[in-house]
Amino acid sequence: MRKKKPVAAARAKTTTAAPAKRSTSVGDGADAQQQLIASRVRAGLFALFTLLSLAITSGSVGVEGKFAFWVDKVGGTDVAFSVPVVLLWAAVTVGFGAMAALQLVRGASFRWRLAIGLVSPVLVFALLARLLDGTTANLTVFFTSTLLYTVPVGIGALAGIIAERSGFLNIAVEGKLLFGAMIGSIASSITGIAIAGPIAGAIFGALVSLFLAWLGIRYKVDQIIAGTVINIGALGVTTFAYLRILQPYSEFNRPIGITPIQIPFLSDIPVIGPILFSLSPYFYIAVGLVLFFTYMIYRTRWGLRLRAAGEQPNAAGTVGIDVVKLRYRAMLVAGLLAGFAGSYIALSGTGGFGVNTSAGKGFIALAAVIFGAWNPVYAFGAALIFGMTSAATTLLSGLGVSLPPQILLSMPYIVTIIVVAGLIGRVRAPASAGRPYDQG
Amino acid sequence: MRLELQKITKQFPGVLANDRISISVDKGQVLGLLGENGAGKTTLMNILSGLYRPDSGKILIDGKERIFRDPAQAIDAGIGMVHQHFMLVPVFDVTESVVLGNEPTKGPLGSFDRATARAQVVELSKKHGLHVDPDAKIESLPVGVRQRVEILKALYRKSDILVLDEPSAVLTPQETEELFEIIRGLARGGTSVIFITHKLNEVIAVADKITVLRRGAVAGETTPKKATAAKLAEMMVGREVQLTVSRSKSKVAEPILQVKGLNVLNDAGGLAVNNATFEVRSGEILAVAGVQGNGQTELVEALTGLRLVDSGTVVLEKKPLHAGSPREIAMAGVAHIPEDRNRDGMVKGMTIAENYILNTYHLPQYSKSGLLNRKAIAAATEQAVKDFDIRTPSISTDIASLSGGNQQKVIVAREFSRNVRLVIAAQPTRGLDVGSIEYIHRRIVEQRDAGAAVLIVSTELDEVLALGDRVAVMYEGRIVGILDAKEATRERVGLLMGGITK
Repeated sequence: MRKKKPVAAARAKTTTAAPAKRSTSVGDGADAQQQLIASRVRAGLFALFTLLSLAITSGSVGVEGKFAFWVDKVGGTDVAFSVPVVLLWAAVTVGFGAMAALQLVRGASFRWRLAIGLVSPVLVFALLARLLDGTTANLTVFFTSTLLYTVPVGIGALAGIIAERSGFLNIAVEGKLLFGAMIGSIASSITGIAIAGPIAGAIFGALVSLFLAWLGIRYKVDQIIAGTVINIGALGVTTFAYLRILQPYSEFNRPIGITPIQIPFLSDIPVIGPILFSLSPYFYIAVGLVLFFTYMIYRTRWGLRLRAAGEQPNAAGTVGIDVVKLRYRAMLVAGLLAGFAGSYIALSGTGGFGVNTSAGKGFIALAAVIFGAWNPVYAFGAALIFGMTSAATTLLSGLGVSLPPQILLSMPYIVTIIVVAGLIGRVRAPASAGRPYDQG
Repeated sequence: MRLELQKITKQFPGVLANDRISISVDKGQVLGLLGENGAGKTTLMNILSGLYRPDSGKILIDGKERIFRDPAQAIDAGIGMVHQHFMLVPVFDVTESVVLGNEPTKGPLGSFDRATARAQVVELSKKHGLHVDPDAKIESLPVGVRQRVEILKALYRKSDILVLDEPSAVLTPQETEELFEIIRGLARGGTSVIFITHKLNEVIAVADKITVLRRGAVAGETTPKKATAAKLAEMMVGREVQLTVSRSKSKVAEPILQVKGLNVLNDAGGLAVNNATFEVRSGEILAVAGVQGNGQTELVEALTGLRLVDSGTVVLEKKPLHAGSPREIAMAGVAHIPEDRNRDGMVKGMTIAENYILNTYHLPQYSKSGLLNRKAIAAATEQAVKDFDIRTPSISTDIASLSGGNQQKVIVAREFSRNVRLVIAAQPTRGLDVGSIEYIHRRIVEQRDAGAAVLIVSTELDEVLALGDRVAVMYEGRIVGILDAKEATRERVGLLMGGITK
């Protein structure tokens, strides 16, 4: 997040002569002014949400929200409880009201991302309860599917972040997910070894990524165009391979699935155990990767150089850092991660690879990159929110609640557009992401 | 350390950028490398910093030949560069910027050892008297301080040879003087310094030895004791040069341009021009001085209709212009020589004739019912080529193939081809050779003498002082002072450029 200067903002607002002793530079004032505008827009949005949820609150009197948890293990005994929907919505209303007020009072220094993170879960529940209208929903399923949906999106976002921090726009996450899924499935099927899937997927993802890097760095092909070509090409190639090879010779598409593991002791904790500690190993690896790379990006020499190359490659180049090599390496890591994430889709889902099996998760990952301001932890948080909307859609359609699923599914994109437009808060991309590096 | 370059040659497609250049600098010596734009200074520097490799020639350090394949090797050899465009990451803090590339680390993951780095930066800045806050973000620092960070970067790498490329371009005269003090201090401490510039006074002030480059080759060597500004200019250009513009006293008459309470926003929505009020009278030149980026660009764009006026009035001979389109303003008698001629002054890929009629093509003498009158255009352009001494094979030559000086002449010819009441010239001589500078200056003074009002914006103090009948100084969007030519001394204008009004 950017440095905040509410005082400077207030000063820049006055258009008449503003004699300031320690005057900030012209650009600084403009920046602060923009932040002030953004924070007012946010306050307005939050106020609007407050009114909306107030309206829903008053319309929800008497409706019971019924939820259930599996206590001991997935599919085990369950415990049900019910909450008046009014109460949930009242909480949401209070939450949004507080956000609007705080945003207005504290201006740009209000940590609105955190606030959204705190209110959204309650909001999702309130929405669910309202839509379910008395039907019981199993929350263990809801939570685990949220977390699992987060795996490919979160790792994909990490791939995007590492590439873009080095200055290379990684539009092709989606394509790498697809390739990773297909190659992972084939490798696992042929060898009969579960671990071969993720490894092969990661390696192939890296190859695709290096190819993209080669086009963009060596030949300075526009990175957006090259990435888009890879995305389209990946869909074409994998679909063709599926129809011509994997379907007729289905022994190539019967991977050894990577099944959930029970973490000793922890998975025995009532309610929480089945949700958090009985998941696919992919999930724990994803969390580990996010924490590891967050440390690497912000606290190590590697990260310092990575960020320098993405912001101001000339500054890095003139102190002897090999920017070209650094970007290739970053793209290699990004490819490994994206291919690995892709293998998850084929290996822990319905079994095997299918046409367009990634279904846009690579693009959602890019949205999470932006929403998370190029910070792996924030991006993972964004992926969690997106995952929740997806899990909610699945849950509702499973229970026969009629709601066009597109409405919830389009949320991540709508949110991203608002964020990218800079309306509710500015995120600053690495300054040189997408620009080829010219030495000298 | 002693650095010697022997017969360095570098050929680019179509240009011999460096032609057997030999220079040398001793331990603790300051070498002033003087040359015009395009004389080969930057190429030579890029060779020295390992960005380019010479086609032939040798680099000797303490008598031993060194070959630099990349910047890292040049840094290892003890060569530190301070580039004209600072090589800093805006979102990094000072400590990170200084140590980038040679970071102290700890632990198996290569964790950045911030505490050690910070201590090293603090010690280094104390030792050399370069005061900076090690925790300040680069983007929040003024240019003068950023330059100190650049010097610290070089010192942190234990550079024995410090190369500064046009270091004063973005500084006020006072900041430049501070920089000279730093350079002298470093030289006393045994650092060899190469100071690259095109400003004659600066080499005389700071160098121990002066080497002059002209068209990619060494034109001569001298010392500040033996050299005079006129002699250096002659070496730089290859012929005798008039350094001062000869001009008669101005015959000031009625005001032509009146600007009142003008506010203009920059691209980011901030206030770039803050309540500007001034007037320019017939027969006078008002020169606007200021360090680059203090609102001059926005002021000129607002006056010429390229940028919306936020509030305030602009009146040209009783005619309000603050809401006018660029064409209305041009037709009202405003000639505009833009700051960035490549962006706003011409269309590359179009011919000289087409560029010549760029803002008059719609007039009846050049077009009728949407069809261009080629004959009339050709005749007018031929005349302009003759009048303005534009060196070109023909009027249907692509303007991109002309030299910078000739391109600027086409622009000036075009702008002066109309009835001119007001000339707005922004950085009219930036990047031009001394010969062209002389010519452009003379043409502008001619317009003044013919009764036009002239507004010149320049970041070159010499240009401001040479041309201005009055001098206005901009600082952070405000006009902090307007002085008569008599009062406008280098010191007073310099202080105003730094925002000091007392």
